Amino acid sequence: MPWISVDAGRWVADVELSLSVNGRSHPIDAEPGETLLHVLRERLGLTGAKEGCSEGECGACTVLVGGRPMDSCLLAVHSVAGSEITTIEGVGEPGGALSPLQEAMVRAGGVQCGFCTPGFVMTLTALLADQPNPAEDDIRRALAGNICRCTGYAQIVDAVLTIAGGGR
Amino acid sequence: MQFHSPRTENEALHTLAELGNSAMVMAGGTDVMVQYQRGEIHPESLVHIGLIERLDEIAQNGTVRIGTLVCHRRLATDSLICARFPSLAEAASTVGGWQTQEAGTIGGNLCNASPAADTAPPLLVADAAVHLAHAGGGRTLPLSEFLLDRRLTARRPDELLTVVELPDPANYSGETYLKVGPRSGMEVALVGLAVRLTFTDDGATVADARIAACSVGPRPFRATVAEAVLVGSRLEQEAVAEAGQLLAESARPIDDARGLADYRRRVLAPLLGRAVDICRRRALGG
Repeated sequence: MPWISVDAGRWVADVELSLSVNGRSHPIDAEPGETLLHVLRERLGLTGAKEGCSEGECGACTVLVGGRPMDSCLLAVHSVAGSEITTIEGVGEPGGALSPLQEAMVRAGGVQCGFCTPGFVMTLTALLADQPNPAEDDIRRALAGNICRCTGYAQIVDAVLTIAGGGR
Repeated sequence: MQFHSPRTENEALHTLAELGNSAMVMAGGTDVMVQYQRGEIHPESLVHIGLIERLDEIAQNGTVRIGTLVCHRRLATDSLICARFPSLAEAASTVGGWQTQEAGTIGGNLCNASPAADTAPPLLVADAAVHLAHAGGGRTLPLSEFLLDRRLTARRPDELLTVVELPDPANYSGETYLKVGPRSGMEVALVGLAVRLTFTDDGATVADARIAACSVGPRPFRATVAEAVLVGSRLEQEAVAEAGQLLAESARPIDDARGLADYRRRVLAPLLGRAVDICRRRALGG
């Protein structure tokens, strides 16, 4: 199905747009209305972001768009062309090591079945970038849009507290 | 389906004029994309306005003008909004989680015209007006005349809601937004209530009262009959109770998956009592 974009006052059909994911640029080859989550998982093979509810309730599909956490299941992929997208595949250290937050999640037992974990890590990565030393209340508020059915949240909050303020 | 992403307001207005009824306008997509994926809407075109410049600004010049693309997260944290219109900041902070608040916009919340639109009651008590632009012109409507019914607004297909405009509150005013829901934040409101009280200079008497509710009728509405009982009162228990009763009587709630009409009606009066106390404290300090 063709799609059309209006660019600089001109109608341009089937414009090739690109998507920047974890620092790499990909041409967008997607249907109009196709979600960012679908493109990440089915077209780019980045299966870290999970599809839970598909309605913006569970947060399992959270990615960062320009550093801001958003539900990728509700973003039309063409609407984020030109933004820098960060997924769970892009948060680790160069060389493949886990980020300090991911390490802390493992140590604290904040990962059980693991389905919600990428979403939690993305939201918390945004929180720590914003606020390196969050209080427990800040952490719980930030996580209002992420649902976990295993941990009861306590270990996830503990994980963040152990590294809050730069760790130790 | 076609996807349009105009970069300027002018391009957007010409696109809407051309496409007419076949187009669905989308800002953050938190409502439109859910409806689209559920198959509830089948637009021939999606017109994404999220990249239009200058519609995401908050400006102050006698009135406060909030661009249609200002997201809920920004409303909840902006220092001007928090200081001048705290009930709007409170309402925005309860729209879904952080992810939804980053994507969802004030214009989208109003144009989607959900009975549960959280930003509507605080904007109604603020006497907000909405600016609707179209190719070659525009018009300004009070919000109360914009929200017509469940999922129905006064916006024509060729119009774009560009700005929400709020007059400054009077001195000695206090306001709040209270929301009832199993998880409060995150949840679609079971009942949402915004109240603004303005007191006389000596702080004794209510000079003006505004009460607006959502999720208890097909559209968010002002409860003017209940307001009238508070004006001139000193918030005596009887006056507040009577206003609460009139507020409940002016509601037209329904039973749905989130709650029963009877519960929604019964929760209004106590909620008003709590809101009135907060307003008084915020207006007069202490």
